[in-house]
Amino acid sequence: MSARTLAAETGRRLGDAAHLNATLHWSQDVLDREADRLDAAPDGPLTGMAIAIKDNIVTTEEPTTCASKILAGYTSPFEATVITRLRAAGALVGAKANLDEFAMGSSTENSAYGRVLHPIDHSRVPGGSSGGSAVLVAAGVVPAALGSETGGSVRQPAAFCGVVGVKPSYGRVSRFGLVAFGSSLDCISVFGKTVSDAAHVLAAMSGQDPRDATTRAEAPMALPAPRADLSGLVIGLPTEYFPANLDAGVRAACDRAIAIFRALGATVREVSLPHTRYAVPTYYIVNPAEAAANLARFDGVRYGPRHIGAGGDVRALYRATRGEGFGPEVRRRILVGTFVLSAGYADQYYVRAQAVRKLIADDFTNVFADGVDLLFTPTTPTPAFKAGEKTADPVQMYLEDIFVAPASLAGVPAMSVPIGRDQGLPIGGQLIARNFDEATMLAVAEVLERATDAVAEVRG
Amino acid sequence: MTIGASEVRHVARLAELAVAEDDLALLATQLEAIVEFVAQLADVAVPDGTGTVAVGPEQLTLREDVVAPIPMVRGPAAMAPAFVDGFFVVPKLGGMAEE
Repeated sequence: MSARTLAAETGRRLGDAAHLNATLHWSQDVLDREADRLDAAPDGPLTGMAIAIKDNIVTTEEPTTCASKILAGYTSPFEATVITRLRAAGALVGAKANLDEFAMGSSTENSAYGRVLHPIDHSRVPGGSSGGSAVLVAAGVVPAALGSETGGSVRQPAAFCGVVGVKPSYGRVSRFGLVAFGSSLDCISVFGKTVSDAAHVLAAMSGQDPRDATTRAEAPMALPAPRADLSGLVIGLPTEYFPANLDAGVRAACDRAIAIFRALGATVREVSLPHTRYAVPTYYIVNPAEAAANLARFDGVRYGPRHIGAGGDVRALYRATRGEGFGPEVRRRILVGTFVLSAGYADQYYVRAQAVRKLIADDFTNVFADGVDLLFTPTTPTPAFKAGEKTADPVQMYLEDIFVAPASLAGVPAMSVPIGRDQGLPIGGQLIARNFDEATMLAVAEVLERATDAVAEVRG
Repeated sequence: MTIGASEVRHVARLAELAVAEDDLALLATQLEAIVEFVAQLADVAVPDGTGTVAVGPEQLTLREDVVAPIPMVRGPAAMAPAFVDGFFVVPKLGGMAEE
């Protein structure tokens, strides 16, 4: 198929999916120009693949707004490293996907441009913050999409929408061109219709980047060697991730996956990550603190709309621009982050959270040192919840991240794989691996994917 | 701890963020709930000498000290709200004293 044909089909599918509100910017003209470039270039590992991009990763042909009014109309003068690499590998890059404003949220209800609908049940949320990217893959518009993770923003929507979502190790993929949110946590991550789709995209965009000093001096990730079975592998089940009140459908789906692991020759054993319950409170100190610092750059001086405040001096301009431009959740995080860093409170909150974060990371180090190759957990406590269900209570929304925040705090790779459905709604299983051991994680995910009927009901 | 309108106003000022008077009460309630939630970290037994997490490379290496411009397809004039003669234009700096 020519790239021109792919561009036309992608445009048609984007149009057909418009009711889901998953896309913020796209045009047939940009897709066609991208196709002409590809038709004139030699084939690469991603030739024939259209990839949607979360709208907090900068591209030069379409705007980048982070779903915020404060960046309305902004188009970047430069391109993110991941975009350059995907295009060089043959991908057709064009559509920009909706998200929670500045990637702050777990339901994609915080976009200034309206909520994204769950592709199966429109009254529900697709998860977040990369909800638009997840929905475009789940709805069959594109086989893969980029999202970003700060604390589960790809794995959680992947679970809710029934697609694969992979967060690589911190330092595996360049963040040059990702709008910074929580710099010690942010990872550009990927959704795929299949494990193989996601692995191919990750392989093409990984590797050290001189423009991002936090990337590791490692070669780009190799594609995982296929496994026939799971013999010789030890899979740990952390008891803290299987509480007594776990949703019955989620539990049934996990039980079925665990039975598959055993049947295919893996040794499965219970393990403990004792500081798991502190991951969400730790995350909601570290993350707002880093967000408050990173979002200081949005001030109405160099880009974006500007509001002249009462008084008319430059500080009034900052305050009015930020007050008008940021939505409710972003304002909350900036205020909380500023509070936990402020004089008199930093030791009690921020410094404390840094120490607890170390204990959470040590939990993973210890369990992997004890002979466990991989951890398996539910990705989320429940399937997709109803829109509006958690918007009035920020803490309830934050608790959505309970199973995904720990790996983000520790920096280790983790992914969500579809493992079944309950009353029609997808359920995700999470695999967590040693730092920079994406190869084992992806290979096991492929085995699980092959052995699982992911659209089958897990209860009766 | 108790967070009221005056605390929200103070933090908003530190963050250079305009908050409408009408929003202060709700924000105070929400911030108090969030701070109360994260305060449970006080219960964690943290052993002496617990360090901090260093994510990313083992050590940051210095790149060569050469100018490597990032290719730009458009300049600041195309993005800035006010840009004249190579400068971003802003209103005058007012008094720095806290109001």
